[in-house]
Amino acid sequence: MDSPSSQESVGFDYLFKLLLIGDSGVGKSSLLLSFTSDSFQDLSPTIGVDFKVKYADIGGKKLKLAIWDTAGQERFRTLTSSYYRGAQGIIMVYDVTRRETFTNLSDIWAKEIDLYSTNQDCIKMLVGNKVDKESERVVMKKEGINFAREYGCLFIECSAKTRLNVQQCFEELVLKILDTPSLLAEGSKVLKKNIFKQKPPQPDTSSSSCC
Amino acid sequence: MLRGKLKLPEKARRAFPDRLGSIVAGFNEKDEENRGLNHGFELGEELETFQPNGFGLDRELDDYKVEDEKSDGELGFRAPQKPDRDGADSVSFSDVFAADEKRSDLEYEFSQKEINLEKLQRVASSGLPDGGGLRATAWKVIISSSFAHLQLLLGYLPASRDLWEKELIENQSKYAKLKEELLLSPSQFSKREDEPLRSNKQYAGSDADGQLARHDVSTDDHPLCLGQASVWHQYFQFTEILEQIDRDLLRTHPDMKFFSSNSSLSRKNREAMRNILLLFAKLNPVIRYVQGMNEVLAPLYYVFSTDADEKNAANAEADSFACFVRLLSDSVDHFCEQLDNSSVGIHSTLSRLLGLLKANDEELWRHLELTNKVNPQFYAFRWITLLLTQEFDLHSILRIWDCLLSNPFGVQEMLLRVCCAMLLCVKTNLLSGDFVDNLKLLQHYPKINIEHLLQVAQDISPDTSSFCLSP
Repeated sequence: MDSPSSQESVGFDYLFKLLLIGDSGVGKSSLLLSFTSDSFQDLSPTIGVDFKVKYADIGGKKLKLAIWDTAGQERFRTLTSSYYRGAQGIIMVYDVTRRETFTNLSDIWAKEIDLYSTNQDCIKMLVGNKVDKESERVVMKKEGINFAREYGCLFIECSAKTRLNVQQCFEELVLKILDTPSLLAEGSKVLKKNIFKQKPPQPDTSSSSCC
Repeated sequence: MLRGKLKLPEKARRAFPDRLGSIVAGFNEKDEENRGLNHGFELGEELETFQPNGFGLDRELDDYKVEDEKSDGELGFRAPQKPDRDGADSVSFSDVFAADEKRSDLEYEFSQKEINLEKLQRVASSGLPDGGGLRATAWKVIISSSFAHLQLLLGYLPASRDLWEKELIENQSKYAKLKEELLLSPSQFSKREDEPLRSNKQYAGSDADGQLARHDVSTDDHPLCLGQASVWHQYFQFTEILEQIDRDLLRTHPDMKFFSSNSSLSRKNREAMRNILLLFAKLNPVIRYVQGMNEVLAPLYYVFSTDADEKNAANAEADSFACFVRLLSDSVDHFCEQLDNSSVGIHSTLSRLLGLLKANDEELWRHLELTNKVNPQFYAFRWITLLLTQEFDLHSILRIWDCLLSNPFGVQEMLLRVCCAMLLCVKTNLLSGDFVDNLKLLQHYPKINIEHLLQVAQDISPDTSSFCLSP
């Protein structure tokens, strides 16, 4: 009763929680829609939080991705802070045609992650969206790369509209998560249960049998 | 009168400066302040958008006013069709007859010297006719009256219908003045006051050219002034907000050309809504603009600006502003981060929703709260702060709002009932689903028979316990 999705765990190897953050209007929801349903459409602004699930085969594993799409405006930040908890991957999105959405990454969003992310090993990914508007671009790719280096995150430029690099964006992130043992452990329900089994309630292991 | 029964929410008094209250005393009559709004729109250009709503070329009756008797008799009202590309509820003949009857009821009511508010509320709660201008008038009357406590407090007493016109004109000029005072850039404003042109030419888009003489440069305030008291500093603070508003307006009901297309009409609509939202932000410096306010404004502006009476429609901006302010007076605290955890904040309201659910269906409450742990913040936060405007198509939203606005116990009370009813109506699905299923279902609420939903909402019993969850 306490593990409602236990039946489903048969259908996938790992469950990962991903989070999308970034300024309002950079295209977080569009990116997610582009990834989960291969479509692009005009969307209403996200209020509070939106949630989508995507099943995917990546790196030879069957994955269930629970993706939380947050609202960008400041007012919603205290509400969204709780969504950082337990996320294995965080995608920071900016709009390559709006400089302030890029500068806010270091001014605001990186700090939010430090503040709220409970997961030390959590994989971060920087995404420059809207590269379809190349003529309006104001943030150069090089700047994105530099930022990513400085903050130790993955980096990709993409377009939710043309779907350029959208799949790759999520795949890269997930592959990196799969490469990280601690995150892998978290993502595996089966493993989790084993961990509990391996740690029996009686704490006295003084009778250490070494067989 | 019913007015006496209405509770005065404590928070309404606090949240609104006197100054604001005083300018939203009534609604407006005359067209005004379309300055800068006209993009060369010609009537008929946007027929596609309007026609489904029984509006468009049928603007024969120009002189419909609130006090005119039976004036919109043939106002092009047709079977309640859906506005642009929405909902699926089909309309039966009996619905049409009922709507016809309702229409004459309303026309009669609006012809009376003293409007019977209780009756109007009763009719409205069962759904107002689409098209024509009856919904627009009814909403204005209901909103004016339902939030009468505000005006009462501020010395404004909406009396009989005869006094309305005066109130309207007064209010309209107040709105125009407010716009002039708050929406013009400081240079535009100072020019209007007939002061000699000072240094601010570039922001006014003015025609001044050449160099500034030394003596022309202001010593006290200028566009680069960083002081908090600088009017320029204050002015620029809002450019960011304005950009946010513009971005959101483009994304308001993105499937409806009325709001989000590139046509001149659509641009005119956005311009008007932008003025309203910006004005609200300036008058409420603590809250300013919060995403989602655009969604709350949209139904009001849509209904008022598609009023078949041209005069009314032309005045939609001022009317919408007045009603928007009142509507938010009830719930503006939900938009305020600082109040999130206070007794008037969103968490407290979410707890009330849970209380209501528990009182009406403990099994479902248990399932959502204890078994699946679907925090209402994940879904009902949006339901409540946006008055359900992102959960349904516009046609359904208007119907639901008829019900919300006309509820004698207040919008918020009815809203919680409808939210609770939304949970009850998908109970079977919820009970058979896990956390993910439940969340997906509630964040993307399925198409539903709205009349049924509202009936369930009406039948909900109040939460009598003092049940309250800590946020």
